[in-house]
Amino acid sequence: MAHNFKTDLWVDWCPGCGDFGILAAIQQALAEYNAKPENYVIVSGIGCSAKTPHYVNVSGIHTLHGRAIPFATGIKLSNPNLTVILDGGDGDLLSIGAGHFVAAGRRNVDFTIILHNNGVYGLTKGQASPTLPRGTKTKGLQRPNIYDSLNPIALALSVGYTFVARAYAFNIRHAKDIILRAIKHKGTAVIDLLQPCPTYNDINTKEWYDQRIYYLDQDKEWDPIVRKPEEEEVERKYLQAINKSLEWGDKIPVGVFYQNEFVPTYEERIKQNFPNYFEDPPATSQISKKDGSAVADMENIFKDKIVRK
Amino acid sequence: MSKTDIDLIIGGPQGGGIDSAAQVVIRSFTIAGFESYGLREYHSNIKGRHSYFHVRIKEEPVRSLRYPIDMLVCLDGETPFVHMDDVTEGSIIVYDSDFENTKLEQVVTMEPETQKHLREKFQSLKVEPVVKNLMEYQKSRGVKVVPVSFRKLITDTLGQNKPPARYSNTLGASISMAMLGLPADITKSGIASVFGRKKEVVEDNEKIVDAAYKYVDSLGIKVNKLNVREYRERFMVTGNEAVGIGKVLGGLKFQTYYPITPAADESFFLEGHDYFEEAIENQNEQLRKTGVVIVQAEDEISAIAMAISGAMTGARTATATSGPGFSLMAEALGYAGINEIPVVLTLYQRGGPSTGLPTRNSQADLLFALNAGHGDFPRIVISSGDAEEAIFDAVKAFNYAERYQMPVIHIMDKVLANSFYVIDKVDSSKIKIQRWILPTSDTDEYLRFKFTETGISPMGFFGKQIFWLTGDEHNELGHITEDPETRDAMMEKRMKKLEIASKEIPLEDKLLVFGDKGAEIAIVSWGSNKGPILDAMEKLKAEGIKTRFVYLRLFSPFPSKEVAEALKGAKIIIDIENNYSAQAALVIKEYTGINVNKFILKYNGRHVTEDEVYKSIKEVLNGKDKVVMTSGA
Ligand SMILES: Cc1ncc(C[n+]2csc(CCOP(=O)(O)OP(=O)(O)O)c2C)c(N)n1
Ligand code: SF4
Ligand SMILES: [Mg+2]
Repeated sequence: MAHNFKTDLWVDWCPGCGDFGILAAIQQALAEYNAKPENYVIVSGIGCSAKTPHYVNVSGIHTLHGRAIPFATGIKLSNPNLTVILDGGDGDLLSIGAGHFVAAGRRNVDFTIILHNNGVYGLTKGQASPTLPRGTKTKGLQRPNIYDSLNPIALALSVGYTFVARAYAFNIRHAKDIILRAIKHKGTAVIDLLQPCPTYNDINTKEWYDQRIYYLDQDKEWDPIVRKPEEEEVERKYLQAINKSLEWGDKIPVGVFYQNEFVPTYEERIKQNFPNYFEDPPATSQISKKDGSAVADMENIFKDKIVRK
Repeated sequence: MSKTDIDLIIGGPQGGGIDSAAQVVIRSFTIAGFESYGLREYHSNIKGRHSYFHVRIKEEPVRSLRYPIDMLVCLDGETPFVHMDDVTEGSIIVYDSDFENTKLEQVVTMEPETQKHLREKFQSLKVEPVVKNLMEYQKSRGVKVVPVSFRKLITDTLGQNKPPARYSNTLGASISMAMLGLPADITKSGIASVFGRKKEVVEDNEKIVDAAYKYVDSLGIKVNKLNVREYRERFMVTGNEAVGIGKVLGGLKFQTYYPITPAADESFFLEGHDYFEEAIENQNEQLRKTGVVIVQAEDEISAIAMAISGAMTGARTATATSGPGFSLMAEALGYAGINEIPVVLTLYQRGGPSTGLPTRNSQADLLFALNAGHGDFPRIVISSGDAEEAIFDAVKAFNYAERYQMPVIHIMDKVLANSFYVIDKVDSSKIKIQRWILPTSDTDEYLRFKFTETGISPMGFFGKQIFWLTGDEHNELGHITEDPETRDAMMEKRMKKLEIASKEIPLEDKLLVFGDKGAEIAIVSWGSNKGPILDAMEKLKAEGIKTRFVYLRLFSPFPSKEVAEALKGAKIIIDIENNYSAQAALVIKEYTGINVNKFILKYNGRHVTEDEVYKSIKEVLNGKDKVVMTSGA
């Protein structure tokens, strides 16, 4: 029988919340990717979006505000054979967790980050998130936002993410396709997932997005993939993606902005010093003998510490 | 000078090879069959400021350092000033005569406060604060002074092309060992064992050894003759390395860290020993290569988060840090608590608060270790007092973490971290690895937080079972719940595990009682103070003063009954600690109601020595309620 990717919990998001679309897209993508259900782990931070793992019937770890990336990194590096997906809010990943977001780009651990971009801090009742433009006054704010917003796509590109895409919560099928591509990507993938928050963000509503969104893959000329491991090709695709990331306003591009699989993953970098890392990962490596004594031997491993005559 | 109990200090500028000199001394004496123990002291600075190495050498195991010292070797013009009071009648000072005319005020690397204190001292002694005059003063009080022109001796030996500064460390060490009567070939073995692979360096330094021995012979200043003892294979490790070794023997597979003194050397050491060969079974020729993944994270929050989540795949994971980093880890520690995750955190205490004394000693993080993180959650807190304990405790930390499914904080301190210990091999058969309880059935629905008699639920892993974890209060499956009854049950389940731990952990891992168990004078202490206290107790005993020493090892769950038992009948209880507020005494009071009534405290960041413990106990016995120990440069 096919695995049921839904848990039987009541989903406690507000009616009309974009997170419902994202949840459905994730469940469909996992079913389609078809790994062993035990081998998936969904990691989240704290926020409305961070409840996602509880609603997906695979292992889930709902962690601390801002820390989904380090938690996901620990899992993946201890057992590189798992498929790890992360859900985080825009406050979670780009404000309190911004340092981790930057470090993740430099590591390129093979997992997928789904950035629930709703422009607000949902769970704390609508304060401005780092993606809300300056001067915007959503209904939860006392006065217009006086922070400048950041551009998640450009940020991700500039710190080394090897798969950068955008999807839209209310096009579930397209979002599912992008998530699937992100999971299949070798390296860290980030998806800027536009997520209307009908309760607190009355500017970037479903209607607002529906009028502006267009799909990059409908443009036959658009090729976000680095095809050769050459500097010139990488630079061309990178600059093209940066340029595209600047489009916001009347027209909002959705789809894959950039993909480069020539950058070694962090796991492959570990493997350079530890050749059988994938076969003997930390998670399952034997540490004791049958009698319970240690496998490791002091004289053998630490011989350089012996004071020899 | 006693033939077999020698305290030696070698001082010079940071970056001037004090560390290698220390290693040469310890390795040489180890090869000669002696026991030794040494400590490095240094500023939070890379090059230039004063650093020194204090070592003690004996025939019996060395547990502490002691002032006054027998020999001071000064590689620069600052050392004679800084350590002027560390020597006494009968001590020897070897100093670089090229610095003879150095005036106190010319020592720019010295902090102004230290200069001021020294200036005042010179004024009261009516001595000019110049190295030359200082040496005259030292002679006048019976100190033997040996001037050596380091530059001349080095250039005479190696020619003009080698920078003398690079060899002054070996020269200083060699002169001291020649004077102490260690045969030259042994000093050369010591050199070879430090500089090992660098052939030219070894050769040059061997020439320096010869020159040093010739110089000492020509002046006839040998003060001692050592009978070389039998060599046996030993390991020379720092406390940082001891923990690293313990972790690897205990099955560490994933360690995370963010650089911080004095914790980072442990991870740095592990990075040099992260891929190796081992036999999986006894009498099994089959070897396998395996590794430990060590990740330098972007900060300490990330470091602990990675270690926590890594443990949920089944790996033995750990992180190591010091005060500032530990402060950042507090939130995640509670996450490990509520999610019952086995993670080991090695906490190297240094002087706080804030950046405090980043390279100096302290024991002021005990209460924080016991209380860090919001909310109530169980944790195990253990403390080590020397390298051997640190190795076994690192293994126990993993065993406890997995058995009781909770975070374990293993407390160390700067003195432990940066001391050199010479120890025997720890046989792998002596390392007992005990892991979690696993689910008995693969078919039943897995409940990560299943209610059980002991509060311990069978452990599941990502990649094996499907389950959820959340920092929110949760039900047995791991989903969020705010149901009051479930909340109570979960809180009680988690905390109950501490009672189980309390029952199961053997007495010797909770506390040790040394000395005269019925003595009316009881000492309580923990960590690196163990050695100096044991040594001071012997001195007191020789005078007929009987003491008992309750040495604390487990702080959570606190062994209240056992501590009360160990202190029974004591009339005077003396707490000895390296902090201002007598934190262990507060813990004892909190859990046993027993009032500690005398305090010997130290918070200047320097190590506690045998003599000052001895002296301070005497002061307490003469009626003082509180003594603040102030020794150390
Ligand atoms: C350390 C810490 N600080 C603050 C909070 C309170 N908090 C909970 S959710 C949240 C913001 C959530 O916003 P976002 O990450 O954008 O997620 P959303 O709810 O919008 O999905 C904050 C600040 C917390 N849980 N932890
Ligand atoms: S507050 Fe916004 S983001 Fe949170 S559940 Fe409601 S609609 Fe969704
Ligand atoms: Mg948000």
